[in-house]
Amino acid sequence: MNATRSVLFEPVARGLFFVLHVFAVYLLLRGHDLPGGGFIGGLVSAISWVMLGLALGWSEVGRVLRVDPARLAAMGLTVAGVTGAAPMLWGRAFFEQFFWHGTVPFLGEIHLGTPLAFDAGVFLVVVGITVKMIVVLGRSTSGMRAFPRVEADRYFSILEEPIEGPASTPKEKGGTDAG
Amino acid sequence: MQADTALLSGVLFAVSMWLLLQRSFVKVLFGFVLLSNAANLFVLMMSGEPVGRSAPIVGDPGPVVDPLPQALVLTAIVIGFGVTAYLVTLLYRLFLDSGTTHVDELYADEPAEREKSK
Amino acid sequence: MNLVVAPLLMPFLTAVVVLLVGGRTRVGRGLTVASCVGQVLAALALLVRTAGSGIQVVAVGGWPAPHGIVLVSDVLAALMTVLASVTILAGTVYGVLEMPARLSHPLRLPLMQFLAVGIQLSFLTGDLFNLFVAFEILLVSSYALLTLEADDWDVKQAFPYLAMNAVGSTLFFCAAGLTYGLLGTLNFADMAMRSTALVGDPRLMALALLFLAVFGLKAGLFPLYYWLPHSYPTLATPVAGVFAGLLTKVGIYVLIRMCATVLPHELTGLHALIAWASGATMLLGVLGAISRNFIRGILSFHIVSQVAFMTLALGFFTPLSVTAAIFYIAHHILVKASLFLIGGVAALLNRTDDLARMGNLWKAAPWLGVLFLAQAMSLAGLPPLSGFWGKYLIVVEGVARREYVLVAASLVASVLTMFSMLKIWLAAFWNEDPTVVVHTEDPRWRPLAWICAGMVAISLTIGLGAEPLLRLAKQASSMAMDREGYARAVLSTGGKEVQP
Repeated sequence: MNATRSVLFEPVARGLFFVLHVFAVYLLLRGHDLPGGGFIGGLVSAISWVMLGLALGWSEVGRVLRVDPARLAAMGLTVAGVTGAAPMLWGRAFFEQFFWHGTVPFLGEIHLGTPLAFDAGVFLVVVGITVKMIVVLGRSTSGMRAFPRVEADRYFSILEEPIEGPASTPKEKGGTDAG
Repeated sequence: MQADTALLSGVLFAVSMWLLLQRSFVKVLFGFVLLSNAANLFVLMMSGEPVGRSAPIVGDPGPVVDPLPQALVLTAIVIGFGVTAYLVTLLYRLFLDSGTTHVDELYADEPAEREKSK
Repeated sequence: MNLVVAPLLMPFLTAVVVLLVGGRTRVGRGLTVASCVGQVLAALALLVRTAGSGIQVVAVGGWPAPHGIVLVSDVLAALMTVLASVTILAGTVYGVLEMPARLSHPLRLPLMQFLAVGIQLSFLTGDLFNLFVAFEILLVSSYALLTLEADDWDVKQAFPYLAMNAVGSTLFFCAAGLTYGLLGTLNFADMAMRSTALVGDPRLMALALLFLAVFGLKAGLFPLYYWLPHSYPTLATPVAGVFAGLLTKVGIYVLIRMCATVLPHELTGLHALIAWASGATMLLGVLGAISRNFIRGILSFHIVSQVAFMTLALGFFTPLSVTAAIFYIAHHILVKASLFLIGGVAALLNRTDDLARMGNLWKAAPWLGVLFLAQAMSLAGLPPLSGFWGKYLIVVEGVARREYVLVAASLVASVLTMFSMLKIWLAAFWNEDPTVVVHTEDPRWRPLAWICAGMVAISLTIGLGAEPLLRLAKQASSMAMDREGYARAVLSTGGKEVQP
């Protein structure tokens, strides 16, 4: 990240971050019957994270988000997969949908269904993957390590050399290196 | 309307093919991006003439456009997004390794490398 | 009925769980191996069920075909899922035994499981668009595996593979769009019903040719194969075994599915084109193999030339030749994967797979030599090994159809295959070069060789007792070629009411 920070962009990004997240959740919730859904909501959320990263620096995204976005995506996949598989435990079809319609105090009449859980999974996958991709590219093009040190254990084999830095002389490749 | 779209997707296909055949991987990457857009437009045409028909699902009266090609295109856009991001990252890595993305310079040392036990 | 879902749901859940717990932990590794064993059992159960009681259909979400998504398992698909899960089990166990947890790459096991999802979904899907999605899952996992532990040289080799396949996928997507435009459906069964009326329509032929280009690229058919032999040798042994065994065979499976089940059987021009392209692929592939001088390079070119035997059998397009193609796929998946694994053990012992620097293996590890020789002879097609039966049927069919040029090409390719396998044999096993050290003190090679022995045992069983598998292949081919039966089974599966 270059050191120059915009006086204007930073507070705007901070403010918009929350507004965009409210909008993202709104899109997620209306998604079953109206345009919207987990994918679009996830993209809106991802964009706000990227904006935060551009305004405050990429390491800030990691500090605010706390979890590794890729783990978020894995959790989303788990949620989506379990939503699909769960009906089979009751002998129903793979990915069969069930709905619940009723009245809740203060909220009024609501309509809930298992597709919402699936959509929430999609939301997590989209946010996780998009943020991960852009943060990795952003970090490595601005001179930081592509992955924070704590994540190295999850993404690297210790036989690997870091990719960062300019090309060195082509190294000797000794056989298979046992795989 | 259909003819315009056909023409546009044809031009996109032509430009992307030209880019894919270039000897620089960056141009190949742009070629791929354009190609997937051309393909999306092409498949979107399969839902037929949109004039006089409304969007599906939202409940407008009257005939609706065929939603299936739109669903296909949406899926393809998502996949294309992922693959493009992957290709960009790989290309960046290639550039960090070799300092170039041009085919002639990248594979210049090829014959000598091949002799190594790979 | 939900058994059809198991072969793809199990690797999917395994992959996400292993991503969360970490591919390097004891739990992650144990879970993956256990899940692979479970997948083999589920696939076997599916095969038994399908062979016993006919086509199994699952309407996803309870929405019936042609409007809903269906997963369909006929004998061919079930047989492929069994072969795929066995290969992935072998590759996974090999990978786990080869590398201690500390050194292994944390993402390899989950990615292998995602690869399994893509492969199994492409066997079990009942519509063209999910096939596209399955191909993408498979390809993206394969891209990642290809560049996972890559150095700069590997990445350079991988880029053409990526670019080719990315463009191929886009073409596939266009083909799916055209299919929808022409036939108004993407469901295989519905496509089969509707395309019958279009026999003789040049648009159908054009679509079929586009399919041939797309799946020929995946299968590595002439002139679309050149991406394959350069990218496979960069892979680590267990991953290479899985890729070599399965990825091109997914292309072949889809070609068979398309030609036999989906498209009308009257497209003889398409079949002839497949046959002649196969003839060319066979010879060019085997010539490429002869020109290589390291084990994985030779074996990679052999994939190209062997794939052509299956497509040649498909190109003859008689019930017997399609049976031969299916038998050959079964034989080839096992033999090819085990040859890559055996090559990996040999490379581990010599610490290189450059033939110029290998040797002494026959003295140090005679059993490994026997395993290699059995699979090499099988690949070349010597009786009574498994490769012989497939080739025998293909040659018989070819002679019966008076395609003497193609038969000659296949025989020449077989002899040259033998020759290049002997090249490995002479250089790596028979060669007694006193300067070459064989690292038999490495404790890993014995367990790894036992995995190879397991694979060899399966393929020897196929060769010596060919009758049961041949009967299964016959059932698979007659079921796959029965377009009306397939359509009836899929379209009659009930579900919710759908407003069209």
